[in-house]
Amino acid sequence: MPNIVEIAVSDDRFSTLVTAVQVAGLVEALQSPGPFTVFAPLNSAFEKLPPGTITSLVQNPPQLGRILTYHVVSGKYTKADLEKLSELTSLEGTTIRLNFKKNEVKNATAVLTDIEATNGIIHVIDNVILMGP
Amino acid sequence: MTQTLEAPKTKIPPSTHPLAEIIYRLEAGGTMLPDTPENLMQIIGLYKAYAVPMDFYWRDLLYIAEQVFLNPLPWSKYFISDEYLDRENKYSGDNADLRIWRGCGDAHPELREFMAQGELKKNLPNILHHLWHDRINMEFAEECMRSMLWHRDMYKPWNQFDGFLDTDEYKQNCDRVIKAYFKGNPAMLGLYKLFPDMFYEQCRQMSYYSNLGLFWEVMAPVFFEMSDLYDEGKMTSVPAAMDFLVNGIFAIAGRPIYHHVYIKGECFEIIPKSKGFTWLYEAALPYVEAVFYRTAPFRGTKSYNAQAGQVPDSQPDFHYGVLYADKFPVGTAGIPPTFLAQDMLHFLPDYLVEYYKQHCRGEGDTIVQLAVSFQRSMYCVTSAVIQALRAALLYPLDDEDPEHLMANRQFFEAQMDRFLRPEARIRDIQSQEYR
Repeated sequence: MPNIVEIAVSDDRFSTLVTAVQVAGLVEALQSPGPFTVFAPLNSAFEKLPPGTITSLVQNPPQLGRILTYHVVSGKYTKADLEKLSELTSLEGTTIRLNFKKNEVKNATAVLTDIEATNGIIHVIDNVILMGP
Repeated sequence: MTQTLEAPKTKIPPSTHPLAEIIYRLEAGGTMLPDTPENLMQIIGLYKAYAVPMDFYWRDLLYIAEQVFLNPLPWSKYFISDEYLDRENKYSGDNADLRIWRGCGDAHPELREFMAQGELKKNLPNILHHLWHDRINMEFAEECMRSMLWHRDMYKPWNQFDGFLDTDEYKQNCDRVIKAYFKGNPAMLGLYKLFPDMFYEQCRQMSYYSNLGLFWEVMAPVFFEMSDLYDEGKMTSVPAAMDFLVNGIFAIAGRPIYHHVYIKGECFEIIPKSKGFTWLYEAALPYVEAVFYRTAPFRGTKSYNAQAGQVPDSQPDFHYGVLYADKFPVGTAGIPPTFLAQDMLHFLPDYLVEYYKQHCRGEGDTIVQLAVSFQRSMYCVTSAVIQALRAALLYPLDDEDPEHLMANRQFFEAQMDRFLRPEARIRDIQSQEYR
């Protein structure tokens, strides 16, 4: 079974995410045993951000890394697990609001869930989520 | 002119909030300020008049944070070096990381002209302009910085800059810089040994100098570009102005916030960029909270009796910012808003000079009128912040799900709750007669 990074690299719908993870220097961390739960934004999610946002973040890897680690949680949480929770603490340090009965992660929708990896699990979301209440 | 909006025919019931009309306007993609050509002219004119002194503020804030630093007698801190006047703004000029304003990257030509000639319109040595107080009022910028420092703990846990200032890592970084800065000065090093916390607190203040300087470095080109677009007839409504600000907020959200100090040319990182602190979470949101909403009761505007409960016990309840301020007392007691108003008076576009003359109540009235226009313009900026937060954390305005629309509604209502206190000027700015 492939790990989280290998799954993302093999799927063209995550090419922006893969580039961002590489720029932020997070590849090694996401290849470690974990386990992790990753809320992975599609390319179309990044395209919804206003012009300049990605450029500005790519120029500043530590800041980009902070946004990306907000999409990662320590531990392996399946869709069934997430349905029982109202929030989780991200690796960034602040919490992510959940309403998984409606497949919602903050203001994003999980369009594909429970993609198993050797070091965790991926849920695909349609928006980049940002820190905040 | 007051705009009246009916409850939108959406899937959620009408709001019962006292400011429901303004909430409907926000839900329709508008701002707290009515969309009229007169309002647009006032806010854009003030953005331009604000951007020129702001071009000095951010440069001098960084000059103080990076070069003056802990100088115990900083008499020359307002005499900014050529290096900082020539310093390329990261968001304007040919070498910009992300070009927001099409103009130059170094100090604005109108700023340079004013610094050379002042109100006197005479090329005198800087020291004479300074002593005559014929200069940019940097005290305003410092008051904003102090407000951010004093209202610490804002936006925790999302704002991580503030918490970092209390960590051992920060103190160790300070220790290294303090020892390098005062090398060969046994008196100051002795004082540091006796009172280390006093020195750390001074460093925290310097870190906020840097924070605010980096924040305003972005805002100056944003305002210059808005002014140019308006002059070209390409910015035609108040919501369009707000949308420009919202896009700017997102574009620059990830800009690093850091604090570097230069000692004899060597760079010391008190707060390195690698901490991941960002413009949005660590500078913009705390700035809006501290300066637009809270600040502190300024001397000279009104006497407050804290023992009689006229000043809130809790800092989050402070309400002395620009959104609540009585703009009439400008011109008294050298209060910070007056400093800013006087700075902006020097750079008003011609169309606003003419406009204020039409409604003039007598000599000196222009400064009051421009302060009211400034208040309108800051309600537009605050609207942009509210809409940006809604877009970042909640749902699109045209979302089909009633639960999402209700979440947006509750967010807007919670924001409007802050303007229910009688000091808020939100009701005043609905009318053009408030001037």
